[in-house]
Amino acid sequence: MSQSVPAIALRSVRKAFHTVVAIEDTSFEVQPGEIFGLLGPNGAGKTTLLRLIMDIFRPDSGSIQVFGRHFLRRDKGRIGYLPEERGLYVRQKVQAVIEYLVQLKGVRQPQARMNTLRWLERLDMLDVREHRVQELSKGNQQKVQFIATVAAEPEILLLDEPFSGLDPVNVRAFIQVIQELAASGRTIVLSTHQMNLVESLCRRVFMIHRGCQVLYGDLEQIQRTHSEKAVVVRSNANYSDCPFIAHATGNGRGTLVLLKNDAQPRELLAWLVEMQAEVEAFECAKTPLEDIFINVLQP
Amino acid sequence: MLCLSKIWVIARREFLVTVTRKGYLFAVVGMPLLFGGIFGISFLTTGTMEQSIKSNSEPIAVIDRSGTLDFGLAGGFEPTREYPPGPTELLQQTTGGKKVPRIVEYTDMALAIRELKEGKLSAVYLIEADYMSTGKIVSYAPEHGIFSDLAPPDRSRLYDLIRASLIKGRIDGETRERILAPGKLKQMKVSKHGDVESGSDAFQKAARFFGPFSMFLLLTMSIFFSSGYLLQGIAEEKQNRVIEVIWASVDPVELLTGKIIGLGAAGLLQVALYAAMLLFPAVTVFAFFQVSTTALVLSLVYFVLGYLLFAGLMAGTGILGNSPQESGQLSAFWTLLSMIPMFLLAPITEAPNSWLARGLSWFPLTAPVTMLLRITSGVTPWVDVAISTVVLVASIYLAVRGAAKLFRAAALMYGKRPAVGEILRWLRAS
Repeated sequence: MSQSVPAIALRSVRKAFHTVVAIEDTSFEVQPGEIFGLLGPNGAGKTTLLRLIMDIFRPDSGSIQVFGRHFLRRDKGRIGYLPEERGLYVRQKVQAVIEYLVQLKGVRQPQARMNTLRWLERLDMLDVREHRVQELSKGNQQKVQFIATVAAEPEILLLDEPFSGLDPVNVRAFIQVIQELAASGRTIVLSTHQMNLVESLCRRVFMIHRGCQVLYGDLEQIQRTHSEKAVVVRSNANYSDCPFIAHATGNGRGTLVLLKNDAQPRELLAWLVEMQAEVEAFECAKTPLEDIFINVLQP
Repeated sequence: MLCLSKIWVIARREFLVTVTRKGYLFAVVGMPLLFGGIFGISFLTTGTMEQSIKSNSEPIAVIDRSGTLDFGLAGGFEPTREYPPGPTELLQQTTGGKKVPRIVEYTDMALAIRELKEGKLSAVYLIEADYMSTGKIVSYAPEHGIFSDLAPPDRSRLYDLIRASLIKGRIDGETRERILAPGKLKQMKVSKHGDVESGSDAFQKAARFFGPFSMFLLLTMSIFFSSGYLLQGIAEEKQNRVIEVIWASVDPVELLTGKIIGLGAAGLLQVALYAAMLLFPAVTVFAFFQVSTTALVLSLVYFVLGYLLFAGLMAGTGILGNSPQESGQLSAFWTLLSMIPMFLLAPITEAPNSWLARGLSWFPLTAPVTMLLRITSGVTPWVDVAISTVVLVASIYLAVRGAAKLFRAAALMYGKRPAVGEILRWLRAS
């Protein structure tokens, strides 16, 4: 696929359920081969967006394109979807469930079996393939669901909270798989509340709140934009006396200082000099995504 | 365009999962055993009742104080056959003939009563001295419960002997034979079209009813079993949230089509197994089931149409509930309506072409069961077959289309059950 054709493109999409507007005037693009972060608080509309892309819901207005055109029935086989609400046939055996779900993506039975076994082995689940799903722990059920999503080898992956219920070892394994899939050209939309993982995996993000877009674009750019008012300072000054500071909290490297809206870092530096404080360090901070998330939601 | 390979994958899974379910295995193996048991118990208890009323193989004692009887004639003529025969006689016909109790002369009443009590006699008759002028006969029979009082045991045997004794030496030849056995009845039937057909004996008559009726019952049960599995399957998939995963891979129409085919095949297999277990032995061993080819073909057609209609309705209903139990409660509406013909079984089977039966055949929800019942009860006019088929095909289209719409609207809706107005709004949506 050419870089100029987005893998997913939403333009002015609106979706309401009876009188409740879930998505309002939303537009974004996801490029082929990128890991795209979809952020937002609970109930913001992330799952609705994923369902719209998956053609489970249809927009009331606006347009959604995948692979450079409107969604076709056969596209379901080319998009893998890991929903937030996990769903498996709990009374059936692990391998049978995965094979069935992979075949529903249009993969023939022998290939589905090969892929299933390969992924079970990859995620260290081969020994439970004959177990019933209900016999597995929550984390292992999550792995089964993840395997069922990736084993069909879809070109686009929509992952809604893929790390929930996983221990750190498995989180690391999932991250590695996701990075490998992206490196092999797969497009990945990652919806999660774990901001540190978004920071480490995604280059671009889209944030939605109450159905509306609040952030969209390059993650570093967003962080730079939101860091103009944050400074890390290591000194012996009493920050509560400073007229430019809105909030100050200690962190490992010193004190993270959030400046008031009309204040600038140079004014803080001037104040420190004026106070004859001993300044060991003074640098503009890169605001963590989590702080940006909270600041955006609670302005 | 629908993806046939995905439909096939769904159908195959639904079939395999269903036929290995405990509920299915119980329905296939347990239900025939249950029905067989009920029929068997009914048959045997009826036989016991008959026995208590009519006869057993012990002799009948007769004390004749009037001097009317010539006991040398007992057993010297063919007993008058009772008509219609009861279940005991039917059973005896299938198991090799009826034992006729002997009539034995007794003079000591006390001895006769004692032997009756000891089970050596099946009945005691006392013919009073003034019998010729009064006709008085007193019968004594063992206590067999509430049916003991309904009729004296083997009365007809005694009456035959009285008749034979009374005409002895006065009337003989063919006249005597006709007095003793007034008629050997052969039944003929006149159809509505004026055709005269040979009637059947009681056994064949019973076979004419039980054969088609059993087929009707099995097909009707299979319709509701199979569509019930569909309802349960969809409700379970919604409850355990698999529905969203499935929906991310297939269209609701593909999903419903695959499920309907897979579960329909399971239903057909159920019918075939019933046929193998019940119909086949019945045909080969007892020559019991008499079903015409036309009735058989039409019954299968209405089975398929009925199944498709209820599958559509159950799919639409199954998706509205939050659990299989809730969906089951919602579907009771369809089940009750469709079972109306079962409540009107007697009038429909007695007059399969009455306006009541025809009206129910034209109403989609009652059409499958009514038509199965009518087809197996007699000759159904082709116009009714045509009308009910058209009505059913149109209803199936609307039911499946409606189910797909409800699926799209309600599959991912959890929590409160949608109101009727909301459901109608979804159905109206394009």
